[in-house]
Amino acid sequence: MIEKESSRGTEKKGENMISVENLSHYYTQNQVFAVKNVSFQVEKGEIFGFLGPSGAGKSTTQGVLTGLLPLQQGRVRVAGHDLSHPKRTMFNKIGVSFEQSNVYGKLTARENLDFYAKLFDVPTMKTMDLLEMVGLDKVADKKAGTFSKGMKHRLTFVRSMINKPEMWFLDEPTTGLDPAIGSQIKDIIRQENEKGATVFLTTHNMQVADELCDRVAFIIDGEIKLIDSPRNLKLQFGQQMVVVDHLVQGQRKTEQFSLIMDEDKTRLNQLIQTGQIQMMHTKEATLEEIFIKVTGRGLE
Amino acid sequence: MKRIAAIVGRDIRSGIRDWLIVYLSIAPFIIALILRSLIPGVGDSLLSVVVLDQNPLVSSLEQVARVELVSDLESLEQRVLRMDDVFGIVYTRGAYELVVQGNESEHSLGMLETLMARLTNPSSSVPVDIQFSDLGWEMSPLKLYGGIMLMLFTTVFGGMFIVLNLVDEKMHKTLRALNVSPLSRVELVIGKGMLGFLLPLVGCLGAAWIMGFSGIHLGMFFVTLLSIATISIIIGFSIGVMNDEPISAVASMKMVMLPVLLSVFGAMYLADNWHWVLFWSPFYWAYLSMNGILLQQADWFLVLRNSGFILGLTVLVFMGLRKKIVNGLE
Ligand SMILES: Nc1ncnc2c1ncn2[C@@H]1O[C@H](COP(=O)(O)OP(=O)(O)OP(=O)(O)O)[C@@H](O)[C@H]1O
Ligand SMILES: [Mg+2]
Repeated sequence: MIEKESSRGTEKKGENMISVENLSHYYTQNQVFAVKNVSFQVEKGEIFGFLGPSGAGKSTTQGVLTGLLPLQQGRVRVAGHDLSHPKRTMFNKIGVSFEQSNVYGKLTARENLDFYAKLFDVPTMKTMDLLEMVGLDKVADKKAGTFSKGMKHRLTFVRSMINKPEMWFLDEPTTGLDPAIGSQIKDIIRQENEKGATVFLTTHNMQVADELCDRVAFIIDGEIKLIDSPRNLKLQFGQQMVVVDHLVQGQRKTEQFSLIMDEDKTRLNQLIQTGQIQMMHTKEATLEEIFIKVTGRGLE
Repeated sequence: MKRIAAIVGRDIRSGIRDWLIVYLSIAPFIIALILRSLIPGVGDSLLSVVVLDQNPLVSSLEQVARVELVSDLESLEQRVLRMDDVFGIVYTRGAYELVVQGNESEHSLGMLETLMARLTNPSSSVPVDIQFSDLGWEMSPLKLYGGIMLMLFTTVFGGMFIVLNLVDEKMHKTLRALNVSPLSRVELVIGKGMLGFLLPLVGCLGAAWIMGFSGIHLGMFFVTLLSIATISIIIGFSIGVMNDEPISAVASMKMVMLPVLLSVFGAMYLADNWHWVLFWSPFYWAYLSMNGILLQQADWFLVLRNSGFILGLTVLVFMGLRKKIVNGLE
């Protein structure tokens, strides 16, 4: 974050695109607090990752931030608008891509985008340019209903950037896409961010978060456990992983040990004293491993 | 405005790719055509006359009109009284008497008068005495009740159009995308309601024209259609937002058909002193207006009073369902 921030100039520093204070959200249907007393800020120009396992409350948070869910408790400002008095015009500055793709099946890809573009008061991007970006230009005139899941997802994704949003919400933008297209999407996100878009990225894919995000928030059971840059997190936790290759009854086995967790330390000690170690090295932890370490939980 | 047009344009585009919606839009015309073919004489442009078989002019008449022969005066009158445009011609005391029912088009009547003048008086020297005997104004029940039902159901189906459209949006979660655009709630409701409003209007006008209700008062017709359309649209929106898939939506829609049918048949068959049991139903008031309008007997007082009742009941329904509708659009 530190490097990127400085390269982007100073005028953006300190300005918040999103400011959330003590946000809670309750679903009456099943009487759960999906989000509990969450607070965070997203700076202008930043890519902010919202990470957590299924059911953590990511989509709920994005729902409140995009006005799709009512603001029940807490204060939320997005792109200069107070969400307790939402105005429709604020959506000229906002783009939202959904976890579940939602396009009109009876319209073609082109018609879907042309229609959506007409809803905005600001200049919009050219339909064919958008379709080309995600490799849908060849099927521009096919009905979206005939598309595969991944194609619909890509259409939903490019639709969200049609108004060149200043504030771009992306819920699982790469989930379910094959790796090549996934990395294309990542490139688009990076490019738009370089042009000035602030990105709120929801995902449970740590690698995407690691590659793209300036800062990440770990959310579990509706609560934020930590917010920091992937780099800081790795500095803090990464050096303390030890990978050991050793032989167990003639078979090679690889194990990882954390140097801050007591049971790992004891186990490593044992191994050094009694095991047949072939190789030992320290390793930078992946964001996923750090997540598990911090929250005590996996991402699935 | 631009956004409302975009919504309507999208609905049309999507609608014409959906056979059910296409069918709903053309159904009134098809049904009107079927009814017309069942009602003798409706829209028949050829002049039809009925004469007694001893009439000396039969052969000349046959060259210009469809001629039916009857043996006595009574059956001639009965024939005239049937629901189509047939004129009776009786030769009495050296003059031709035209027997008309009163619902024949003036155009045909004028034509017949000219014709008779020519036939009976080629040299124009002998004056022709034409008399009218008005046997009472009556319309074929099939034409009248078929017409009323068709108008009411066409308008109710406008609500159906909204239901299907909204359910489709909900099923594919596309409403959410609209809700994160600058499109306002009001624009959304107007845009989504527009076709449910316009299609029945066009359908009813077309049906009225096809069925030969050309003399009706268009102003009263529109006011009545608008008021029924309003309640149909509100019903459409509420069913649309409360259902996430078409099967259950259609089931709810069927439940709405029940009071419509009940009101129409009730109004047709109940004795006048029992009509109060139908006062709760907006479709009853709609029936009364439509009945008067198609018979060309309605006046503005009746139409406005009934529309007032319809709108009043609509407001009540709307108050009850407003929250559900607004929440459902989220
Ligand atoms: N519409 C809803 N009605 C009731 N409960 C809901 C609804 N949507 C979500 N929840 C509940 O709220 C909690 C958080 O769900 P949410 O969708 O925000 O999680 P998420 O982090 O986005 O998960 P995922 O990674 O699966 O998308 C879950 O317990 C879920 O069951
Ligand atoms: Mg989610």
